[in-house]
Amino acid sequence: MLDDLRYRLRALLRRDDTEEQLDEELRFHYEQEIEKQIESGLSREEAIRRARERFGGLEQVKEECRDARGVRFLENLRQDFHYGLRLLRKSPGFAGLAILTLTLGIGANTAIFSMVNALLLHPYDFRDLDRLVRVWEYRGVDEGFDSRRLAPADAAEFSGSTRIFRSLATYQCRDFNLTVNGAAEPVRGCGISANFFEVLGVSAAMGRTFSAEEDRPGTDAVVVLSHGFWQRRMGGQLSALGSNIPINGRPYTVIGIMPRGFDYPVPMEFWVPLALTPAEKANRADLSLEALARLQPGVGVKQAQAVLAGESLRLEQEYPLTNANRAVLVMLLRKELYSFTLPIFLLLQAAALFVLLLAIANLVNVHFARMIGRQKELALRLALGGTRSRLAQLLICESLELSAISAVVTIAASFWSVRVLRDSISPDWTMWVPGWNAIRVDTTVLAFTVLVAIAAGVIFGLVSVLHAGKLQLNQTLKEGGPGNMTRASNRLRSGFVVAQVMFALTLLVCAGLMIQGFTRLANIYGGFEPASVLKAEITLPEKKYDSDAQVVNFHRELLQRTAALLGVTGVALNSNNPASNVDNPTTLFTVEGSVAQKVSDTPSADVEVASPGYFQVLHIPMLAGRGFTEADTATAPAVVMVSESMAKRFWPEDNALGRRIKLGAFNSDAKWLTVIGIVGDVRQNWWNPPGRPVIYECSVQYPDRGMKLLLRTNSSPEKYGSSLREIVRGLDAEVIVNELGTLEKEVGDSIAIVRVMGMLMGIFGGVALVLSAIGVYGVLAESVAQRKREFGVRVALGARPGDILRQVVLHSLKLTGIGLGLALPLTVVISRAVSHYVFGLVAMNFGVPLFFAGTLLAVGVVAAYLPARRVMGVDPIVALRHE
Amino acid sequence: MSERLELPQGTLDLLILKTLGLGPQHGWAISERVQQISSDVLRIQQGSLYPALHRLQRRGWIAGSWGTSENNRRAKYYELTAAGRRQLEVEETSWRKLAAAVGQVLEAI
Repeated sequence: MLDDLRYRLRALLRRDDTEEQLDEELRFHYEQEIEKQIESGLSREEAIRRARERFGGLEQVKEECRDARGVRFLENLRQDFHYGLRLLRKSPGFAGLAILTLTLGIGANTAIFSMVNALLLHPYDFRDLDRLVRVWEYRGVDEGFDSRRLAPADAAEFSGSTRIFRSLATYQCRDFNLTVNGAAEPVRGCGISANFFEVLGVSAAMGRTFSAEEDRPGTDAVVVLSHGFWQRRMGGQLSALGSNIPINGRPYTVIGIMPRGFDYPVPMEFWVPLALTPAEKANRADLSLEALARLQPGVGVKQAQAVLAGESLRLEQEYPLTNANRAVLVMLLRKELYSFTLPIFLLLQAAALFVLLLAIANLVNVHFARMIGRQKELALRLALGGTRSRLAQLLICESLELSAISAVVTIAASFWSVRVLRDSISPDWTMWVPGWNAIRVDTTVLAFTVLVAIAAGVIFGLVSVLHAGKLQLNQTLKEGGPGNMTRASNRLRSGFVVAQVMFALTLLVCAGLMIQGFTRLANIYGGFEPASVLKAEITLPEKKYDSDAQVVNFHRELLQRTAALLGVTGVALNSNNPASNVDNPTTLFTVEGSVAQKVSDTPSADVEVASPGYFQVLHIPMLAGRGFTEADTATAPAVVMVSESMAKRFWPEDNALGRRIKLGAFNSDAKWLTVIGIVGDVRQNWWNPPGRPVIYECSVQYPDRGMKLLLRTNSSPEKYGSSLREIVRGLDAEVIVNELGTLEKEVGDSIAIVRVMGMLMGIFGGVALVLSAIGVYGVLAESVAQRKREFGVRVALGARPGDILRQVVLHSLKLTGIGLGLALPLTVVISRAVSHYVFGLVAMNFGVPLFFAGTLLAVGVVAAYLPARRVMGVDPIVALRHE
Repeated sequence: MSERLELPQGTLDLLILKTLGLGPQHGWAISERVQQISSDVLRIQQGSLYPALHRLQRRGWIAGSWGTSENNRRAKYYELTAAGRRQLEVEETSWRKLAAAVGQVLEAI
């Protein structure tokens, strides 16, 4: 067995050697034979003749020896490989086109897969990622608004379900103040339960994480730092462990430092214990905590969901006041992250696949044209005893060579193109996308690329074989001419054009819908005008501004000075900008006179703090009532403004103006607030559903130390950054200016991923259009060229050129028409799915499919017109002589 | 020239192995020797000799090496390997059994 393998290997690897030896061996035998014949008295000529006779066909003997060596198949493969390469070298035009087309097709798949691989398959490198789930609750009254949080008391109940959860951790991300050189600076931090890191399966790189004792008020002044924070602010010194840092004016002891790159749930500066008070823990009314759990081994998400649903039902019966109509949801962490974007990725991957199929269809078409030229060669091969399977092997070998070269080109280019794709979105935004920075060409992506290339090569090869099977060989040899397309292969090629048109229409419609969706997304923020606005975060140090009056005075001064800048047409403050990627705090509120006597019936709304002038600065329309003024001070009657949707929903019949609400449930003792104005809806972030109720409070009445400043300017808002810093420094050097930038960029960044996806779809659609145009043109040009003689005869017999032109164009219309007819129902199905999944933004409509169907028909006409024109210019006599 | 016989299936390998049992030989010598010993009854066609040699070599029963022939020419010599020697015994025994059995049947009827 081993001998056998060694022998075959040697025969294969040292092939030239083996062949030479065989030659020599046979020659020796032959010469011995001649000598023997001469010795027996024959003349030299006669001896040679006899020896030849006895020897038989030399090549046949060799061939049988090769067979005996057992390497026939590989040997042939090797021959075909060389032959294929020679063919490709001989027609560099075809080779170039084929490689370019295939590279486009394979490359599209590689690019999308690199994103899918990083974002969907490996967003985090936590241990057993598929056992980590997020858990949250919905309140029935919130009409589908999904904060992905749960009530602390409910969380405690759920974490008791140890049958399904090994451990359930809760957390809450907030802004903290860090005192640096006496000044408070806002930093992102996260309050977490003590088992948070254990659930994730991550431990500190240095030091330790929290103990259960530290997760209590009073003993909770300990902090675990992110690697970045430790490097940036503490110089990466080991002495950082055990040192104190002032957070919210209180010294926290550093007990641990997390490994580099650990940034769950989003990039954080540090983590502190959640340390809820007993009252906070008992809160069942507010969905305030986020939760993450690790499933017990063998427990599936569905099972967990079923158990928690039962729990939730029990809570609903036990605490009807708060928990009525409350539902719970368990979702895989990986899935939760991309529940918005997964459909788009799948769509993109499908689109990339379509591009590849289109590319293959096109190649097959071009290849057919070449095959006609090679028909004689192939026929000859078969006539000389080449088997059809051997021929198939040759053809598949050729196409695999093409796809292999394309794969190499793709892989070489992907190291560059995938980086371009990754860097096409501002890091300010992508830092929020887990896995984004891991978008790269890794072994999985390479393996995928190779697989796709092989599949493409095999499909391409098999279709070529299918076509070769339709060659009428006897006919070809008899005719002796360049060979004609048979009816069968003509039909096959027409079939490919139809398929191409189908692919193209489907792709174009998807691209159109995505671009439409993107445009709508960009216009989602249409409730305001982001252009020419500069924004910055202004944070006042707590120590110095410990009274509301001080804060109000500073803000008033700041607004006055910035408004006085030349070219600034309006200034305002706001607690959260639209498109900031940060959601507003959500709170329950009670409408005066409402009959709701249960917390579970109490609606919730986003609460924002805005200064007088905010709505004018962002051009948010005032629909009724008045805006805030400087007179709405703490001593004046408490007032709020509400969004249009909120007014319509809670005061559907009469005017909301003058009505009162209070924050909290029916039993809350908060102040009643009077609605003084109604403003247009503004979507906070693109993922929020439209029409979410928003309550605006006045910054003069409810001052906040951390606010966003907005400057509307005549032009080039970025130029005002330095003046703004100067003004703030002039007012108080300890006040911190952060996140300086234009609002337009912030809006653009926040929807960048959708823009990139729309762009990719657009590119795919464009490629599809070009490929199908080439395909239609190729087939028609071919068939027109073949009918040159027929046309010549017809013109000679008196047909008008216009008739011929019409006939060719009709042929094209027939092919494209069939393709479109088949694809239209498909696109309707796809559009429906797309409009359902893609943020619910794209409305199903027939405009897009019809538009692109028209485009493709036009392309078909042009593609037919060009070759027909050429033929019509030919003198009938020349055409007839052409044969 | 006496009457020639076609070699029954499978006997070619046996003849080659047996011939090589006498010592290393090149292909031509093998065919000559078989022809000689069988008094010209058996004649091995080159068309089958060389593929057979390659097949036996692949099975590891014979090994080839280059040497110098009687008339000072480079020639490829084959010799039996240990496995080949064992195979020769097996095939020889089974051939004798077969021949005897066939003979018996022919005589009995």
